[in-house]
Amino acid sequence: MKNMLVGKRVLVALSVVLLAVAAGCGKKEMVKSTDGAPGAEMSTPSSAETQAGGQITSETLGTQTAMTEAQAGVAATMEKPSEFQDIHFDFDQSFIREDARPTLRTVADYLKANPAASILIEGHCDERGTAEYNIALGERRAESTKSYLVSLGVKAGALSTVSFGEEKPLDPGHDEAAWAKNRRAHFVRK
Amino acid sequence: MIRFAKPLLLSLLFLCLPSVSGALLYIDINAPGGKLMPVALPDFVVASGDASLARGFPEAIGGDLGMTSLFDVLPRQAHLERIVPEHFGGRPLSFPDWKMIGAEAVVIGKVEFRGDLMTVEMRLYDATLGNMMVGKKYAGPVRQFRKMAHKFANEVLYAFTGVRGIFDTEIAFSARPEKGRGKEIYIIGLDGQELRQVTDNRSFNLFPRWSPDAAGLAYTSYRTGVPQIYLRNLATGKERLLPQVGNSKSPGSFSPSGDFLYATLSVKGNSDIYRMSLTGSAVQKVAGGWGIEVSPSVSPDGKSVAFVSNRSGSPQIYVKEIDSSDERRVSQAGNYSTSPSWSPAGDRIAFTSLSGGRYSIYTVRPDGSDQRLAVSGSGDCVDPSFSPDGRYLVYTLRKNGYSELKIGSVDGRWQRGLFKGLPAVGSPSWSPRQ
Repeated sequence: MKNMLVGKRVLVALSVVLLAVAAGCGKKEMVKSTDGAPGAEMSTPSSAETQAGGQITSETLGTQTAMTEAQAGVAATMEKPSEFQDIHFDFDQSFIREDARPTLRTVADYLKANPAASILIEGHCDERGTAEYNIALGERRAESTKSYLVSLGVKAGALSTVSFGEEKPLDPGHDEAAWAKNRRAHFVRK
Repeated sequence: MIRFAKPLLLSLLFLCLPSVSGALLYIDINAPGGKLMPVALPDFVVASGDASLARGFPEAIGGDLGMTSLFDVLPRQAHLERIVPEHFGGRPLSFPDWKMIGAEAVVIGKVEFRGDLMTVEMRLYDATLGNMMVGKKYAGPVRQFRKMAHKFANEVLYAFTGVRGIFDTEIAFSARPEKGRGKEIYIIGLDGQELRQVTDNRSFNLFPRWSPDAAGLAYTSYRTGVPQIYLRNLATGKERLLPQVGNSKSPGSFSPSGDFLYATLSVKGNSDIYRMSLTGSAVQKVAGGWGIEVSPSVSPDGKSVAFVSNRSGSPQIYVKEIDSSDERRVSQAGNYSTSPSWSPAGDRIAFTSLSGGRYSIYTVRPDGSDQRLAVSGSGDCVDPSFSPDGRYLVYTLRKNGYSELKIGSVDGRWQRGLFKGLPAVGSPSWSPRQ
């Protein structure tokens, strides 16, 4: 629960930065999060930015873009909150199981009802096997989830995928119960 | 103490010290179980400055030699003679005193400091004949004293066996830092010393692979939120993002010339093996199919690539001749075989395989014959990477969430720990000779 809160906070910080950059607003309105670690709060602009005197230059924008990327890199390590349930997979498999279909219908209905919405599908694996193979397996889980949603009438353009392999287990345990939870696709609204 | 990768400034001065050493070999490195070579490593002479190096040098060299199971490092309490500056100015060692305690060889050294720099003279003597077998003088930053010790240990090994040592090689790997959920890339010396952190972006940084000149690493980073391959120059810290094709990406291995990187790229959800030019922008598919293809490892002659494919229904190791369509499966036993690593001599491929509910490390000939068990342990042994001399494997031992890096001999005769100081250590990659 705490993880989700932290993740949410980072997302909020991120979107603020993105909005600020997109809107090209004045320097003093820009905020950034110093880091994505637990307890991180939005900080006031640094002295270097204050010295810029409220001017927007391409150089400053470049710095802000880099910051945003760095934030996205840290945010990638955190579990992101989702209003949809995860769907689960068999060991070393990427086919869509029967028990995943109700969730996928929910996701499809949401996307069809909200044409402007888009979703990132994260593919995950359990800790068994080797990390490099699991990156490819997670990719395949995310793609097979995407294909299924497209078959339900979702526009492919509303869906993107990323694999985290075995790097982000939801359950830190080391038994079949934990592994079953960690072989999953996770839906994040973008 | 973790610090960032710093430029390697060690310079070597090869002094033309007189030597009467011939091509006489004292130890047959391929005949294990023979008599160990007794070697004495008395305290070095330190004229001024950091006196701890008087002991630090011989300990580092002795640690290296002891690792080979070829040398017996004699306890310093037994030494009868103390080394003094005059031993480097013409005074002979008292060889009968060294013979009396059983020493066949004696290593002496002298350290001189100039600010942050130092000069070290090291000599290896044959205690029976009383002659100097090797004499070297090294100059470089004080903080790189271990590097100099490793280089001289290489000389000692070469003098006795005719085999080039690997004591100055390093292992790159990924691990979770004490804080955060990400993984960073680290490098550690073969002796388990001089751990240093390479990346620092608190995202996932995975799968480090050395360039053939050991000057750079390729690795996967999620630093922008999605996995990309970066090339890092270890001396300058400068990085380059490789061409952005597909989704997930992981580096497999460099071509022997260093002009290409063989990598796994996932395009539209299908992971295949690609060859990416590092001098241009060409990206060419080398092996693929409808299944998952990952983890390319190139043969030392650059003509073949070993990789993982699940086209048979479970992951197995395949070998493909790069310029032909010839592909063959080489892993036989086990229903989950991954992580191929081609030996430097090209004669074997090491890989991870699941059998009996546990992952172990096997080696096999590139034609698929003569599969042998190399390492198995009390947990899962995964991700093998060959040493540059082909005699050892570094690998990850994993058990119930605990993990550590270990080194084992390819013949399976012994294993020892390398590093277990951080959570989630894995994906070790052995550097080339430096």
